[in-house]
Amino acid sequence: MVGHSVCCNVHGFRPYFYINCPPGMGPDDISKFHQTLEAKMREKSANNGSPKCILQIEMMQKRSIMYYQQQQSQMFLKIVVALPTMVSGCRGRFFEAFKREDVRLEGRFNNLQYSSFLFAFYCSSLLCLLAGILEEGMQIGTYESNVLFPLRFMIDCNIVGGNWIEIPSGNYRRTAKTMSYCQLEIDCLYSDLVSHEPEGEFSKMAPFRVLSFDIECAGRKGFFPDAKHDPVIQVANLVTLQGENQPFVRNIMTLKSCSPIVGVDVMSFDTEREVLLAWRDFIQEVDPDIIIGYNICNFDLPYLIERAQALGIADFPIIGRIRNSMSRVKDATFSSRQYGTRESKEVSTVGRVQFDLLQAMQRDYKLSSYSLNSVSAHFLGEQKEDVHHSIISDLQNGNSETRRRLAVYCLKDAYLPQRLMEKLMFIYNYVEMARVTGVPISFLLSRGQSIKVLSQLLRKAKQKNLVLPSVKRKGSGDGTFEGATVLEARTGFYAKPIATLDFASLYPSIMMAYNLCYCTLVTPEDVRKLNLPPECVNKTPTGETFVKSNLQKGILPEILEELLGARKRAKADLKKAKDPLVKAVLDGRQLALKISANSVYGFTGATVAQLPCLEISSSVTSYGRQMIEDTKKHVEKKFTTDGGYEHNAEVIYGDTDSVMVQFGVSSVDAAMSLGREAAEYISGTFIKPIKLEFEKVYYPYLLISKKRYAGLYWTNPEKFDKMDTKGIETVRRDNCLLVKNLITECLHKILIDQDIPGAVQFVKNTISDLLMNRMDLSLLVITKGLTKTGEGYAVKQAHNELAERMRKRDAATAPTIGDRVPYVIIKAAKGAKAYEKSEDPIYVLENNIPIDVQYYLENQISKPLLRIFEPILKNASTELLHGNHTRSVSILTPSNTGIMKFAKKQLSCIGCRTVISNGEQALCPHCKGREAELYCKSVANVADLEMLFGKLWTQCQECQGSLHQDVLCTSRDCPIFYRRKKAQKDMAEAKLQLDRWQF
Amino acid sequence: MAMEIDDSSNNLQRKQSLYKSLDETFGVERERYTGQQYSQIYFARLHLMRTILYSLVDTWKPHLPVCTVLGLELGKECVIVGTLYKHMKLKPCVLDEYSKERTGIPLVRPHNFMHPEDHLVLEDESGRVKLGGTVISPSLFVTGNVVALHGKETSAGDFLVQDILEAGLPPQEELPFDTKDKYVVFVSGLSVGCSSSNPLLSQLLVDHITGHLGDEKEQILASQIVHVVIAGNSVELPTGLFNGQYLAAKDHSKLSMPIKELDILLTQIAAALPLDIMPGTSDPANFALPQQPLHRCLFPGTSAYNTFVSCTNPHSFEVDSVRFLGTSGQNIDDLDRYSNAESRLDFMERTLRWRHIAPTAPNTLGCYPFTDRDPFLMEKCPHVYFVGNQSKYENRLVKGPEGQLVRLICIPKFCESGVAVAVNIRNLECHALSFSTDLDL
Ligand code: SF4
Repeated sequence: MVGHSVCCNVHGFRPYFYINCPPGMGPDDISKFHQTLEAKMREKSANNGSPKCILQIEMMQKRSIMYYQQQQSQMFLKIVVALPTMVSGCRGRFFEAFKREDVRLEGRFNNLQYSSFLFAFYCSSLLCLLAGILEEGMQIGTYESNVLFPLRFMIDCNIVGGNWIEIPSGNYRRTAKTMSYCQLEIDCLYSDLVSHEPEGEFSKMAPFRVLSFDIECAGRKGFFPDAKHDPVIQVANLVTLQGENQPFVRNIMTLKSCSPIVGVDVMSFDTEREVLLAWRDFIQEVDPDIIIGYNICNFDLPYLIERAQALGIADFPIIGRIRNSMSRVKDATFSSRQYGTRESKEVSTVGRVQFDLLQAMQRDYKLSSYSLNSVSAHFLGEQKEDVHHSIISDLQNGNSETRRRLAVYCLKDAYLPQRLMEKLMFIYNYVEMARVTGVPISFLLSRGQSIKVLSQLLRKAKQKNLVLPSVKRKGSGDGTFEGATVLEARTGFYAKPIATLDFASLYPSIMMAYNLCYCTLVTPEDVRKLNLPPECVNKTPTGETFVKSNLQKGILPEILEELLGARKRAKADLKKAKDPLVKAVLDGRQLALKISANSVYGFTGATVAQLPCLEISSSVTSYGRQMIEDTKKHVEKKFTTDGGYEHNAEVIYGDTDSVMVQFGVSSVDAAMSLGREAAEYISGTFIKPIKLEFEKVYYPYLLISKKRYAGLYWTNPEKFDKMDTKGIETVRRDNCLLVKNLITECLHKILIDQDIPGAVQFVKNTISDLLMNRMDLSLLVITKGLTKTGEGYAVKQAHNELAERMRKRDAATAPTIGDRVPYVIIKAAKGAKAYEKSEDPIYVLENNIPIDVQYYLENQISKPLLRIFEPILKNASTELLHGNHTRSVSILTPSNTGIMKFAKKQLSCIGCRTVISNGEQALCPHCKGREAELYCKSVANVADLEMLFGKLWTQCQECQGSLHQDVLCTSRDCPIFYRRKKAQKDMAEAKLQLDRWQF
Repeated sequence: MAMEIDDSSNNLQRKQSLYKSLDETFGVERERYTGQQYSQIYFARLHLMRTILYSLVDTWKPHLPVCTVLGLELGKECVIVGTLYKHMKLKPCVLDEYSKERTGIPLVRPHNFMHPEDHLVLEDESGRVKLGGTVISPSLFVTGNVVALHGKETSAGDFLVQDILEAGLPPQEELPFDTKDKYVVFVSGLSVGCSSSNPLLSQLLVDHITGHLGDEKEQILASQIVHVVIAGNSVELPTGLFNGQYLAAKDHSKLSMPIKELDILLTQIAAALPLDIMPGTSDPANFALPQQPLHRCLFPGTSAYNTFVSCTNPHSFEVDSVRFLGTSGQNIDDLDRYSNAESRLDFMERTLRWRHIAPTAPNTLGCYPFTDRDPFLMEKCPHVYFVGNQSKYENRLVKGPEGQLVRLICIPKFCESGVAVAVNIRNLECHALSFSTDLDL
């Protein structure tokens, strides 16, 4: 019975929190307090049937985590809250697989969700209410009253995310009246759960069933699909077993007939209702653990549910694992310091984790575009054809063949997320992160960093009998304080090797070295009162006092030690591991550990987090600054000619956790050995575990300003590893491709070829090409996402104005909200506003509209160019931007604007462009003598175009995976899309012109 | 046309022949680019080939049902007809040219893109299926072939191929019976203007053909040449002259010198006997197949003769009812890049059996996007099938199952080898005419 899903109803676990025991209260007073509290509760909550709110109040010895305290513990009251009767028992849900049924039940605890929406709401509002009464009404501080119930349960049962759980046989029974769609359902007591640490055999992944799906809907022309009006026409599904590389189910549900597709189960229905219900039944039947897709959280899932609502299909949204639990769409905002605030939708699918690849991408990777097309181009190295939504309706309204076409496309969209997930090892990395930090997988995607740290903190605190105070969140006041400053950058081009000294995990090491923690911080009064001997405390550069570990070992340092220790082990195991799956797990783990260690510091500094403590975070950064400065001092003092070295070392730049040193030697090898020596020497001057490491040499190195540099990266003296750039315009979104290509090529020439004149020449040629209109249009396209329509933007913006104009031209193909609008800047009448000069690239191509080359020169390429050239070139600006190469300019004649529209098309001589009266000829009498030469030119032009035309269009055939069907793709993200269009148009023109040379 | 060849006592009379051009199908004058795509030529090809293949299936596998890719059922043996698509790992991709990050290492272009992991897929209008089994070898086929396959769908969703049917040699008109020896001479790759080409060598060739050379025996032979075909790459123009905007005066002459020289050579031939010139990759012609005839304005001298025909590539014609078909080499060169064979002749033989001279068009071989026809399909079997610009001279006689006889000829590049090829249309025998400036002839 391996691989079956299990629902375990866990009984007996109650929510609770702590309060300080009011002074003078003894065991006898508890029942009175209980009654008063209960009464207050009833008053406030207009009772809802539950006989009792507060189940129990217990006295306990605990200690608050805040501040160094000399006495070991204090009296606290633990208040246990009753559970509502309407929901029987408190249940965590998890899914497990039998290994040997009779002996034990091993399972996979992948996701703990509230047993029902209602219950969760009740539970948290109850706690909240009670905490409110205590804090505001009675002025009593509460502890751990804002811990999410599922997390509370997991912590108390020692369960982490992605955990194997055993329920010894005899300690459970099969549920008589099942409430879930799982293959097995059992009841047990929470105290009978045995959690296994993810080590050895238990580090394996469970055979998750992963469903990847995508829907298509038929939008009306000119509108983004709206669930109130637009039908869902297809749903493609792929189900894969975790760890295998081929899906074992591929199907598609279509509205109206659809021709069969090889290897895919095509199910066609006459009504949308049947499509939706078929999908729901399918979900219940395959019972996936993880649902993935691209933008499913914000689009596909909510759309399905809202659509079912619009159609009045009341029993559609049962897609979770609990019978009768309806999934609903909730609007949620998610904000975190790291990811900013995002509006999103949330659909609960109890018992199934949603993993939206779009969210994961936005979270984990910095890309210039997150469309599925460009993401798959980036990671899978292939383009994805893109069918515009105005075409989708046409395909749907065609016949079963055109719908089949759509289905193939839809299936591809469902397959790509699956492949991305495999390629980027998301499951491994996220499960490992869940294991390391102890939160359910679903938290990792839907919540910020802080919950992970909180979970670890709570776990550790529990072991130490500490409790965390519940701090009222102080809004989203941004807690930025003086961040890590960097050493002044001595900008310039360095032709000698620059050694880089890095602090390994600087902030975690500082916290460990100086024992910085909530519980080691001494309040200013206590500093005066307690009179601690100076050798027992550290005074930080910001003036805070922390006790040393001999008085009190900090919890945060302990957590960090464990994390970093575990990382070391994981890395060592990784080296030994052979099995690729094991390797994947270990690599995911070490990465998760590293990220977790680094996020501890952030947790203490984030005012939106549960327990901010700026004393800690500001001390950390100030120590960090000090370390960097100390390093500089040491290097420049020791490595001098006086000290017996060949040259005086010079620190040219210092970043948050690294210092760049020019030792003056000219070979990479020598720089490396000096780097190693320096790292070792300076490490010795710091408190353990702060350690300076030597890793790499940059040679040559172009330092533009702080946080902006480029260089060749060497880790061994034979060959450089790569070209490394930071803060240089190569991925900025609102740049056109030209900038990126130009900068990359220049850096390549400067750094790798060490050919500065070559780079200058290249810039000149590019600029001249631009001015002479020889630039490929796709390089000039700028793209912005349309988030609001017309009036939504307070300031007029180029992309949004263009969208309006395009809507007037053709509502069907105009971009709508959510689309990305590509545009180019065109020449316009004098005085035209910048936002009026945007134009659709296709329109520009078709009508030969001249480009505003000056705009590109001044607003796009000049700044980034000068930035890299100024350190190396005198008069960079005049030389590059105003030289001879900028003299010749060529402007296209637009074919349909103004007066040109009415001018009769006159044939001109191909040689000299004079108008010729005899339209039958190619040349004027004057040029007749150069016939052969001019013909060669024309035909060579045709030959080039033919070659391009062939290459581009066959590439698209390859991309769409069919030879016999027309290419429909309109993927503007694809580098060849505009070229393909242009080739087609140029080809037609060139052929016509060639035909004028008659035989 | 009678020509006086020599002033010696016995006046030799050049043999005459009847010439008919069959190039009409390769013309694209009436075609326009109106946004059509390549799907249509594949569609036309599949349609035409399928009719042929279906008619053969009845005798090939009479008991088996014929299916479409969609109609496949697990484990059921059947015959399917479709276009092959070869999935190639190493196939260069235009996207890379535009999108790949610059790397320190320049791309090395192998001359052959085969890889052991390549696999074939069969596609018809209804879908695609991956082909499995050892019967069909990816190295022998290319994208664009239309074949019938016998096999069955496996549980993995692949189609296990058990037998393959190609269209086979097309039907052939019987070789006319003639007792007299008459020769058609082929030459390719004159490459006038190329640094390695030797003007003397070309002149020797011309003199030989026109009968101005050698002893009587050779002159008799020369008098039996009834037609000359130049199969592409006659000139080589300096590259990079066209991308710049303006040509300086000296460039004009650089450009026109080779063409003028060629015109002079051709004039001498055309004055003596009928001459066909086909465009090739390096000629001032368009790139995509079928390449259109070289413009007459390039050859002011030769154009004056009505013996001069500027024709298309591919080129098809009849001389005394003997049918010729050939190309300037692109089709076979492309097969060599995307499939394997022992010799160029094998490639040629394959294209005969496929009944299609350029299956890789349009996929890897540039071609015009035809909408309703596929001119590369061979409707009739030629008697002589030639390709120009090959690295060495080779020939072979292929016998078809219905008694077809085809002479395959690889014409070497003249500027490198000094070899032209003469075919006797009486018996399809052929021999090389070698020229060299080092030795006395
Ligand atoms: S333009 Fe062509 S290559 Fe690019 S995504 Fe579309 S079909 Fe694929």
